[in-house]
Amino acid sequence: MPSQQELDFQISPLVQESLVHNTRTLHNLQSLTASLFGVGAGILGLESYSGFLFYLVFSLITTLLFYALRIAPTAISSPSSSSSSTTSKGGVLSRYFRSPLDFWTAGLTNGLAGFILTWTLFYGLVRA
Amino acid sequence: MAQVPVQTIHRDPQLFYWILFPITIVMILTGILRHYATVLMSSAPKPLDLRSTREQRSLLHGISLRTNFHVLSPRSFHSRRDAVITAYESGAYLKDPERKGQPPANPMTDPSSMDGMMGMMKNQMAMIIPNTLIMSWINAFFSGYVIMKLPFPLTIKFKSMLQAGVGTKDMDPRWMSSISWYFLCMFGLQSVFNFLLGNDNAASQMAQQMGQMGPQAPQMFGPGVDPNKQFLAEAENLAVIEHHSVLDGVEQRLLEGIRV
Repeated sequence: MPSQQELDFQISPLVQESLVHNTRTLHNLQSLTASLFGVGAGILGLESYSGFLFYLVFSLITTLLFYALRIAPTAISSPSSSSSSTTSKGGVLSRYFRSPLDFWTAGLTNGLAGFILTWTLFYGLVRA
Repeated sequence: MAQVPVQTIHRDPQLFYWILFPITIVMILTGILRHYATVLMSSAPKPLDLRSTREQRSLLHGISLRTNFHVLSPRSFHSRRDAVITAYESGAYLKDPERKGQPPANPMTDPSSMDGMMGMMKNQMAMIIPNTLIMSWINAFFSGYVIMKLPFPLTIKFKSMLQAGVGTKDMDPRWMSSISWYFLCMFGLQSVFNFLLGNDNAASQMAQQMGQMGPQAPQMFGPGVDPNKQFLAEAENLAVIEHHSVLDGVEQRLLEGIRV
């Protein structure tokens, strides 16, 4: 007999293409906003730790807004999460993304290179 | 404790217009050019003949039967499995059944497999040639200029990388030369290309290199793979499946779901 987890997955399967699409949408948003945060940090003239802190805080805010505006409303209106069945154990996130940890932290590494590029550029332009 | 004075260097503001912006614009345009060159050069896959298509599709059929067996009823799964295994073991789907026991042909001599290798070669060339050109262009024109200051401090180890061609010993490693701006552009322009060209663009060489370094999926229908062995392995995989259906015990789950 299959394990309980395997059976859960077979009863409510995840469509691989949709997961990839969701992750890609989030990735696009994060890499674009990271570049814009770099512009902001450069114009403000932030240096070293405060700049990275700026990036950390704002990219977390972006992910939080994405969660609040795009994921939470659909989760409330969908019927399957309101009925507390065994399948909604992993929370709402697992219905749309691979894992919660991935969802919250992947954005930090996605946009870091773009952030550093625009941060350096605008810092150099403003402080020339 | 004495405060280390912050180094300031007076630079000509014209440096921005004649070094920084040209490098950035050239990098972006090269990325766009590379994307469209890859799109134009990619040759459409050649249509396969009937027998090799049958060989590939029947193997895929077996794989999808193995991964999706739980949606079938026991009887239909068993009849499908029996049919597929019999055909696999007798080699009914093979492209040329008389070459069953022989080793696969050498991929270098097979003309049909040369196309794939040519495609890979083209991609490699599209990455290597622009990189070499831009590197030598920057080295020839802009080496030795200090153009910018990084907004975060770095250790002294980075000095040889960031200030290549600048022969000043005591300079803070935060100051960067034109070649390091090139490297920053190479890493950081991916988001710009995402924005300009859409998602699955071929503009950034970094993404492609990452893809090559990652664990490569074993080639399924590539040259040098013996299809008969693949069929036999798949038949074995199918034979060991212990069948269960998702509908087993569905009444119990339904009753649990509607309990108040």
